Amino acid sequence: MDFYLGLAQIVGVHTLLGLSAYCVLLTGQVSLAQAGFFAIGAYVAAMLTVLAGWHILPAIAAASFVAGVVACAVGFPALRVKGLMLVVATLAFGEAVRLFFFNFDYQVARGEVKIGPAGGEGFRQIRFFPEHGWSTLDVLLFIWLFVALVMAALWWMDRSRAGAVLRAVGEDEVAAQSAGINVTAVKVAAMTVGGLIAGLGGGIFAHYTAHIEHAQFGVALATFAIAYPILGGLSSVFGTLIAVIFVQGFLIEGLRFLGDWRNLLFGGLILLAMNVRPRGLIDAATIAGIKRLRIRNREPGNARTQGAE
Amino acid sequence: MLELKGLSKHFGGVRAVDGLDLRVTQGEVFGLIGPNGSGKSTVVNLVCGLFPVTAGQVLLRNEDITSLASHVRVACGVTRTFQNIRLFGQLSVWQNLWVAQNAVEHRSEGFLRRWLGGPGRAREEIDRILEFSDLSGKRDELAGNLAFGEQRRLELARAVVAKPALLLLDEPAAGMNAEEIDQLDARIRKLKQDGLTVLLIEHHMELVMAVTDRIAVLNFGQKIAEGTPDEVQTNRLVQEAYLGVAEAA
Repeated sequence: MDFYLGLAQIVGVHTLLGLSAYCVLLTGQVSLAQAGFFAIGAYVAAMLTVLAGWHILPAIAAASFVAGVVACAVGFPALRVKGLMLVVATLAFGEAVRLFFFNFDYQVARGEVKIGPAGGEGFRQIRFFPEHGWSTLDVLLFIWLFVALVMAALWWMDRSRAGAVLRAVGEDEVAAQSAGINVTAVKVAAMTVGGLIAGLGGGIFAHYTAHIEHAQFGVALATFAIAYPILGGLSSVFGTLIAVIFVQGFLIEGLRFLGDWRNLLFGGLILLAMNVRPRGLIDAATIAGIKRLRIRNREPGNARTQGAE
Repeated sequence: MLELKGLSKHFGGVRAVDGLDLRVTQGEVFGLIGPNGSGKSTVVNLVCGLFPVTAGQVLLRNEDITSLASHVRVACGVTRTFQNIRLFGQLSVWQNLWVAQNAVEHRSEGFLRRWLGGPGRAREEIDRILEFSDLSGKRDELAGNLAFGEQRRLELARAVVAKPALLLLDEPAAGMNAEEIDQLDARIRKLKQDGLTVLLIEHHMELVMAVTDRIAVLNFGQKIAEGTPDEVQTNRLVQEAYLGVAEAA
């Protein structure tokens, strides 16, 4: 049971990470900086609860805010470049963040022990949950509360004018400009929202793993972050969720029995998924299909509605 | 309405537009014609702000807009269509218009209402434009799935929905059949009736001669003639630009 609870925690946090990349990807930007924002959120939140003794709620709020501010600041120079150059620039930023935490030593003595981030050794003893008596289930609910909140907010945004504007910028910047959209502002805003979400995810991540270190926030994590929305498709936030469940639940955990062959199959399956569904696991056609199904079920004379009456 | 003063755009050694002076008055349909590569599209790109100018000024209602960003010019009332259609293919017809409407509509609304609110009052206005463009039945269709003629109509609708004062049409009839061109003719006249000023770039001469009030002819980035359709048609320089110069024996 604990295994599945743990897996559900991972899925939750990675969904937040994927959604942060989803925001940025909507505007057509492939960003590998999300792991960097995630790392900033993790360290900020952990330092606030461990060193400053904050409650976790204000701590993750602050972590989210700091990551958002950094994302906004990174957004301005980074978004001047496009395509592959943006990938390289954001990758460089992510690595810079990782190396910063590799060298970041800020330990404080508490009685016998020293606590706080210790450079390459990582940041140990982030014990807010055990100290306050939260069970694994409590933590799980806590994580998914935020996942639900963020998904609801993004789902709402998707259906509003903001969502249409983000997608318009993602499709054709020149046309968007000519339709009166301030493309720079939209891209920086998307990057900032992505930073807020990644920082939130990082803050939560730090507390359930209880030990964070620079190596966790490397290129692999950045690749996962961007892979989720690409794999899941940009038509709906649920695509990202499904992609995380597919990757974390099925590809990584479900195929563990294959040993080293897993990694090979992992790449192959992603390739297969992208070929079968080039616009993501959930694309516009899927959503249109679901809508049609719902309408049909509402029509009189339908077997299901008759059965319900 | 629109005034170009000594407008130039050089790409490396190529003088795409070279010292162009032009005056388009309020409420007229002004045609800009010329052989391929004469710089017509570049003029549109300069007026709507896609490229910075090399030299010269763009004045809108006597105000210098030369250094304004493209999206700011839309808010000032300059919108355009593209020669090669540029719609948001993965958005629905309706969303294409909703997005474009953000430039002018609901400026007075609060930030959250404007960006995160539902369609609200926008709906009526968009429905009206859809009807004008004969796209009412296609509102929920993805723009990318529309037929070519419908895409052209949607692009015009997207430029009109932002309530421009000056509309730049870059070869709106390209690839259309005769019937569609007649409809386009009627739409341009309707827009003129509504008080819009139109700068029309077009190769389809029948349409240009029928719908415009005045015409300027470009060749190698320079204006070689200007006048009413009749005057331009009989101009010797224009005939030479289009048909070539008869070699003196």
